[in-house]
Amino acid sequence: MEALEPPIYAGELSPVRDRMIAELGDIDTLCATYRSRIYRYALLSLRDPDLAESVTQDCFLKAHRAREEFRGDCSIATWLTRIATNLIRDSTRSRKFQFWKTASNTAVEAGAVADRLRSPGISPETAMVVREQLVQVWDSVAALPGKQRSVFLLRFVEEMELPEIATAMGLHVGTVKSHLHRALAAVRKAMERKR
Amino acid sequence: MKTDHLSAWEQEEYILNQGTEQQSPQILRHLVECAPCRAEVAQLEHGIAIFRGAAVEWSSQCLATRPQQLQPVPLRRLPITAMRWAFAAVVPLVLLLLALLPLHLFHLSGPQITHPAVQISAAQISDDALLEQVDEQVSVAVPSSMESLTHLVSADNNSGTANAAAGSKHIVQTN
Repeated sequence: MEALEPPIYAGELSPVRDRMIAELGDIDTLCATYRSRIYRYALLSLRDPDLAESVTQDCFLKAHRAREEFRGDCSIATWLTRIATNLIRDSTRSRKFQFWKTASNTAVEAGAVADRLRSPGISPETAMVVREQLVQVWDSVAALPGKQRSVFLLRFVEEMELPEIATAMGLHVGTVKSHLHRALAAVRKAMERKR
Repeated sequence: MKTDHLSAWEQEEYILNQGTEQQSPQILRHLVECAPCRAEVAQLEHGIAIFRGAAVEWSSQCLATRPQQLQPVPLRRLPITAMRWAFAAVVPLVLLLLALLPLHLFHLSGPQITHPAVQISAAQISDDALLEQVDEQVSVAVPSSMESLTHLVSADNNSGTANAAAGSKHIVQTN
């Protein structure tokens, strides 16, 4: 006679989830591990260092407070990215009326970032070409619609896999792929225009 | 229309599937053989790589200027929404109180405000009291020989205020 396995209830805590919740409980370690990643995502999405910092802090506080709601069906990084995505979306919505601020930031930052970019070991001519290419890509990414930009950043800056992005964004993998194709087409078009 | 080269979609597909098992062998084979397609894909990859490098560096520079520890969230940020709701709740209350305040003041000062009819009766009462006082004074001041006349005045006083006043005045004048 076969031994009956203990029934698994939907709400039963798994050891992996317990470990993850314990990790979420230690907010200092959490920040030390994921802060640069979440901040980078927020910064590139919002293009405002102060707002990005605020979103990053809110993200960790929210994750820490809501750690018991974490189901453990994705990595902590993906869960934090999902929280950050929601916070970024809220910030973007509340900033929509500040269109003059957004416009001026976007206009100035591409050149400023390109100027600060270190390019050791390359000739001034090559550096100039690289700078121009960067401005083209930077501007085209900044001009992308919100979801396309987020998906592009998560894939090509944070180097997340498509299923992870889908979980973080609350989208289907096919939709993520579609957004990525459109974003890449826009970047390619911007680069071809200046060529 | 099918061409010999990779379409833009196929090139993007190659970039998206890099490092995964979903990479199409046909696309890979074509890229090995076709230098123009390889150059186009490399150009797009280069643009993305430059972007990533700049993004990571910009983020690192911004982050380096900020404190490493999680800062306590400023109090002014958290309760903004709550304060808005509180403000929205308080304003109608204040307006209601302001609207009701004159009514309240009117009720408070109500007993002090008298109607004209009440004022008239009060004046009549005070006149009567004054006339009584005058009568008393007159009765004290009237010589005994004229006491009979004062009785007449008192009788008149009972019949009408105006006649009494005239009588009293007359008596005072005769004194």
